[in-house]
Order: sequence, then C-alpha cells, then structure tokens
Amino acid sequence: MAGFRLIDVVKPFLPILPEVEAPFEKVSFDDKLVYTIISALIYIFSQFPLAGVSKEETVVKDPIYFLRGVFGAEPKTLLEFGIFPVFSSGLILQLLAGLKLIKVNFKVQQDRELFQTLTKLVALLQYFILANIFIFSGYYGEDLSIVQIGLLNLQLVGAGFVVILMSEVIDKGFGFASGCMTINTVVIATNLVADTFGFSQIAVGSDGNKEAQGSIINLLQGLRSKHKTFFGGLLSAFNRDYLPNLNTTLIVLAIGASVCYLQSFRLELPIRSTKARGVSNVYPIRLLHVGGLSVAFSYILLFTIHIAAFVVIQLIGKNDPSSIVCKIFGHYESVSNLFYTPTFPLSLLTPPKSLFSGLLQQPLTFFVYTAFMLVTGIWFADVWQGMSGSSARDLALQFKEQDITLTGRREQGVAKELEKVIPVASTTGAALLAILAIVGEFLGLKGKGAGMVVGVATGFSLLELISIDYQQSGGQSALAQVLGAPGRF
Amino acid sequence: MAKVNEKKGAVNPVEKLAEAPVEFVREGSQFLSKCKKPDMKEYTKIIKAVGIGFVAVGIIGYAIKLVHIPIRYLIV
Repeated sequence: MAGFRLIDVVKPFLPILPEVEAPFEKVSFDDKLVYTIISALIYIFSQFPLAGVSKEETVVKDPIYFLRGVFGAEPKTLLEFGIFPVFSSGLILQLLAGLKLIKVNFKVQQDRELFQTLTKLVALLQYFILANIFIFSGYYGEDLSIVQIGLLNLQLVGAGFVVILMSEVIDKGFGFASGCMTINTVVIATNLVADTFGFSQIAVGSDGNKEAQGSIINLLQGLRSKHKTFFGGLLSAFNRDYLPNLNTTLIVLAIGASVCYLQSFRLELPIRSTKARGVSNVYPIRLLHVGGLSVAFSYILLFTIHIAAFVVIQLIGKNDPSSIVCKIFGHYESVSNLFYTPTFPLSLLTPPKSLFSGLLQQPLTFFVYTAFMLVTGIWFADVWQGMSGSSARDLALQFKEQDITLTGRREQGVAKELEKVIPVASTTGAALLAILAIVGEFLGLKGKGAGMVVGVATGFSLLELISIDYQQSGGQSALAQVLGAPGRF
Repeated sequence: MAKVNEKKGAVNPVEKLAEAPVEFVREGSQFLSKCKKPDMKEYTKIIKAVGIGFVAVGIIGYAIKLVHIPIRYLIV
C-alpha cells in the first residue's frame, strides 16, 4: 500500500480527543515548578482503591508485581497499570518513527499533531486492553456482573485518560522535562520514603500482629515491642520478606548512590571558538547519554512479554498445569497469597525472589535475564542516541551555529569525532545501568532496584533542567525568595 | 586491520559474533578510563542535592498517601 501512513488513521479522532494547548507565552520558573509538582501529586493522590472489586480473596494473583516499581503502578487501585501505557506508547512510537517504520514528517505541523494524537490514542487503547485482560482473567474476582465490569472499565480507563492528559500538561512546556519521567520520579521517591519511614501499620501473619511499613520505623518498633526479644526484633528488621526490610533499603540506597556516581562520569572535549581567539572551554559528553530510558525500555518490553504470557496462560490456558497451553508456556504459582510467579519458560525473565533460592531453583534465569536486560538496553541506547536531539550530527550542527569547534579539529571533522564518542558513551552507560538494575533485582528487590535506577537517573536530569532554568530566569522567582535559597542547586 | 577483520568475518560469522561483545567491552572500558570522574567534594555535593530533592519530594508524596488512609476507611 503505497502512501499509507499509520498516522492518517487517527485523523477522525483529532477533533474528539481533548488536547492540552501549548502555553501562549513563556511559563515562568515558579509556574513550571508548581505545575510539575502538583501534577505529580495529583497522580499520587489518585491511587484510590477500585470500586466494584469482589471482596473475597481471588485465586488469580498479581502477575506483574516485580514490574510495578518502575511504572508507579499500585495494585487494585485506579492506577493499576500506572503510567506504563503512556510511557510505552510514547517511547515505542517515537522509536518506530525514528526507525522510519512509521512515516512522520516532523517538520509539518499537521503531522506532528497527528503523531501526538496517535500516541495518546495508543496509550488509551492500552489502558483499555490491559484493564479488560485483568478483568476477564479473574484478577478482580470471579463472575463479575456486567455492571461491575463496566464500572471497572470506567475507572481504569478514566484514570488512565487523566494520567495521559496530566503528563501532556508537563510535556507541552508547563513543566520541566517529560511528563511520565517526572511523575515516575516522584512516585519512586514517594515509595522510597514510604518503605523507609512509613509508619502505617499493616497486619502481618495470622495472629494479627501489626508491623510498620517502613524499615527504619519497623526496626525501632521491633526493638521496643513486647512480643519479640531485642535480638529477634533486630533480626526481623533485616530479614522480613513480606514488607521492606533494612537490607533492601540499604541496597536501594546503594544503587541510588552508584547511579549518582555514574551520572557524573563525563568525557570533556576541549572546544574553542572559531570567532574569538584564545577562548577555549570544555564540552562534557555524558556517560549516561540516554539516562534511565534504556532500563525503562527493557522494562517496557518485559511488561509486554509478561502481560502477553498472562493472557495466554490465564485467559486461554486457565492456569491449569494439565492443559496443553500451560505445558508449553508454563503456569503460575501463587506465592504467599500475594504474587503469581511463573514456572519454567517464563521464569527465565522473572527475577528471583531472593538470591539463594534463585541460585538453587532457577540458575538459568541469571543468564537469560542478564542477557535480556543488556541486549535490549544497549540496542535501545544505540538507536536512541542516533535519533534523539542530541545525536552526533545534531550536536555538530549546534556547534556550528554557536561558532565553536573541537580544539585541533576542522569544522568538518567535528561530526566525525563526535560520532566516535557519543555512541560508545551511550551504549556503555546503558550497559552499566542495566548491570546495576540486574544486581538489584537478583538481590531480591522485586522491581525496586530497577525503579531506583530509573528514578535517580531521571531525577538527576530533572534537577539539572530545573537548575538551568533557575539560573536563566530564577532571578524573579518568588518561591526562591520565600525559601530563602539564592542558589542551592 | 579492518580489512583483516572483515575477511575473518566472511570466513567464520560465528567468530565475528563472538568478537562483538569483546570489542564492546574494550571500547567501553577505554571510554571509561578517559572519562573525568567526580572527586569526593563534587560527589558529596551531588549526593546531597539529589538526596534532598528525593527525600523532600518523597515526604510530600507520602503525606498525600497518608491522607488516603482515612479515605479508604470511609469508602471501603
């Protein structure tokens, strides 16, 4: 079909879908900050429990528990799928456009609009499909009435729609950086605080004891509580596996610190001005050129694979180990009545619950999972650096516009030199981040490790954008004056 | 050098495939050794900035999550 373009399909939807209008004039620093924070907070606030879920314990458990940390998804709330659909449709469609698999001419205004609408529509469709997969799998309870199904659909897709629009608000220039990244970072930060200092009491065990969610609060409580010895309290603070323990908290913090360390690796290329003599400077090329996106991309793929498997096993095979489908694709086993862990073929892509049980029971996972994360991460970094706005070609163009060149190079040689450096930087960075995420997962973080990698990497770039913006226009910022911080960043 | 490699690849594609990761690691470690690493002072500054930002945002977020607890009691 010559001349067929996917983006033309969405033309009829263009007038129907609401759209956030780009700001008329430059949004001030304060406004941006407020928009960014408030929309992320609205996201957190909308983690309401779903209405219409059956009250009894369901047989079907959570099959994607280890992927939730990366996408800010909370089980059995309005944000069952978090920002996964927004994130994945944005990233995948841009990737496809960059690989020229979807024909978009980004120079034409109408094409850009259509592409935007397509992204939103795909995200909405994903919310709808995911919601119905979960509804019909029995995750929300067996034999739901039609009213319940409709209600659940309305809630999940409706919440998804709000999330799409909210991230668009930030994307369109009312906030810093990209919407899903910002929301993601805030959710990950919140979860970190909740896991460390959270003092909400959660009933554990059959005898009705309650323990705090946060690991540090739990340690303090454990040391003072009556039903445990001093030593037992200390031990359980480090070892409990039903709620965050001190070990996981420490590992997560260590991962965050290492990401910070990697983040400031850079290759400093000497540059000089072509106009003025004797003016020389350095231009830093980051090691983490693509940031946390590469790990996020690997997790998007994992999410898709696991959902597809969930459909096959649960909807078609009914999770019955004797049926033929489940003999091929494996089945799910429910663990401590909370999670579903898949068996053989799929278990290769599921990080083990803890290091030792993983080593004994599923040694192959270590190779396959590592290989998967590395290959997808590196491939993505390689493709992305070539098509995003900071590729070697674009940078060389920028250099030319600003009349700067690499010291000791002719202007024509700049692109070549950059092309030598940037792909290596981004792929190496992606590999290192993937390794960090893998190590975290193998130590039994259940998605918190990868989430932390993505969160800190994006949080870092967010902080950088904010500080640049602050330096440019923060002089009149009322917020900064109130906070009494002339330039903390 | 490049030509030799190409020739080898033509003879034995498996060998070439096995060479790719080695090449990748070599290039990567070369790049890393050329990189400027942060010194202690810079690193503590970064950790502080990121840490303060993370914890501040996290606490605000968690405060909102706490609001949820009574709401849950009301509607569930």
